[in-house]
Amino acid sequence: MAMHTKLPDEFRCAVTLGVDFDGPSHEVGRGIAPLGTHSWGRYSARCGIPRHIEMLTRQGVPCTFFVPGYDAQCHPDTVRAIDAAGFEVAAHGYLHEAWDLGAEEETLLLHRTDEILRDLLGKPVLGWRSPSGRKTANTMRVLKALGYLYDSSDKDYDLPYRLRFGEAGEDCILELPNNTYSLDDFPFFKFSFTPPSEVLAQWKSEFDAIYASDRFMVLTVHPRSGWGSGTPARTWILEQMISYMKEHAGVRFFSSGQFARWCIDHPQHLEEVRVP
Amino acid sequence: MKPHPWPGDTRCVVFVSVNFDAEAFDLKTTSEDRLYGRFSYGRYGVRAGLPRLVNMLERRSIAATAFVTASDAVRHPDAIRVLRDAGHEIASRGANLTPLTELKDKERDALQEGRDVLARIAGRPPRGFRAPGGELGPRSLALLAELGFAYDSSFQDDDHPYVIAPTGSTRLAELPTVQALDDSFVFSARHTHARVMKIWREEFDALYRENCLVPLTLHLRGDVGSTRAARIAALEELLAYMASRPGVRFMTGGQLADLALASAASAEDDPLAPHAATLAVTPYRGDLAVKPI
Repeated sequence: MAMHTKLPDEFRCAVTLGVDFDGPSHEVGRGIAPLGTHSWGRYSARCGIPRHIEMLTRQGVPCTFFVPGYDAQCHPDTVRAIDAAGFEVAAHGYLHEAWDLGAEEETLLLHRTDEILRDLLGKPVLGWRSPSGRKTANTMRVLKALGYLYDSSDKDYDLPYRLRFGEAGEDCILELPNNTYSLDDFPFFKFSFTPPSEVLAQWKSEFDAIYASDRFMVLTVHPRSGWGSGTPARTWILEQMISYMKEHAGVRFFSSGQFARWCIDHPQHLEEVRVP
Repeated sequence: MKPHPWPGDTRCVVFVSVNFDAEAFDLKTTSEDRLYGRFSYGRYGVRAGLPRLVNMLERRSIAATAFVTASDAVRHPDAIRVLRDAGHEIASRGANLTPLTELKDKERDALQEGRDVLARIAGRPPRGFRAPGGELGPRSLALLAELGFAYDSSFQDDDHPYVIAPTGSTRLAELPTVQALDDSFVFSARHTHARVMKIWREEFDALYRENCLVPLTLHLRGDVGSTRAARIAALEELLAYMASRPGVRFMTGGQLADLALASAASAEDDPLAPHAATLAVTPYRGDLAVKPI
């Protein structure tokens, strides 16, 4: 155990890429029919996911697809295709719940999505990312009970750490923190309407600073239309970004599950944190 | 990637559409006696914007598709005929801009009014439809097919046109658009036209590389539309750039619908059916959208 997480010199910088499926669950969960202007989520399975799979395969880098259970029910073949292409499938809520859940309902929905993904792929799910970033002390207990290795929802640090929880901090799950203001596509395409080339420049600048300091990069995109990155111009900047990172010496790409396993196997490098 | 559907040596099709949205848009937030001042940007689109747009499209030899409400058409019948006589397609945007989801049992009448008023003014019934606010109700597609429409252009879910079978025996082409190529969102955020053109050029280059449909959605309005002199000039430059790329072809909604309906691709089932049971037990939480601090 380390005072602060410090990644060893065996790799210069770890990169985990995430694609949050966000299909029709996003609208249906809010009681909105996925028709007309609300059909951005339909783009994920029709165009965005196939385009991302093709691009990531061409680049030869691992990636984790965080999939809401409802979207997996609607598009089982798409989820199987993600798995068949060698990418990790992890959990991302059931109906992309973007509201507070009571402990009972939250537990039920975490179990439901786990069962859907596990049945579909015939293998255990390793991790979870909160849809909308909501999470409670209960979440970690349930994830751990489901056998998950990691959570990737907290925004409180730039490096992975071991998150202690339970009455006396007796239990522990690996946390891979992310940031949905900077290392994500939707703030730029939903709020600031930033041209794709400028988003690319922004991400490169983020990477440069990370490469020179913390050496852990978590980049998240969404394969939907609208504020997502499934469309050609935005998938193209993601590909440019991957090429740019690959040009840097010592960069190693991991799926979130692979990196969680690495962290678990190397606890001496990781800080342990208990949130009071 | 799916094979592209374009005929011959066409590599990419640009679909220029114009959401007319004149007073019909201002009347969503004000009344007839207050269509002045800040609520006259819609009238600008007809008085100043339309002639400018029509002239520019004529210079570029581009036929566009205008989606017009019955209420705007009744107010501006000459403008509709100017568009028609310049070779542009006139399509429907409903009776007024009330979302179809709010019309309940009046929806059919509203869609029919939208069709019949345009038929009377333009001399032929519209073949295409784009929903006000992009909002479609559970029966809208079936009603459009029943009323004789050939296509809808309200979804944002694909890179190419496709065909829906809203009922077992009807066919409706869908011409999906994309938000990034809609002027109103970026201008609504008060960005410069240089920024809009930068976004559009990048979006176009990537769509062109992948042989996709380029659905450019313009508005006439003086606030969030593209018809002010500087915006038209920037837009003309972009359209000239698009036209200069090998294999680029401009098509109207009707031409695209004919192409889609004649293709061998099978029609897709009603897009709502798989979600109906879940929606029936899910409360409305549409106001949950993430907003800036």
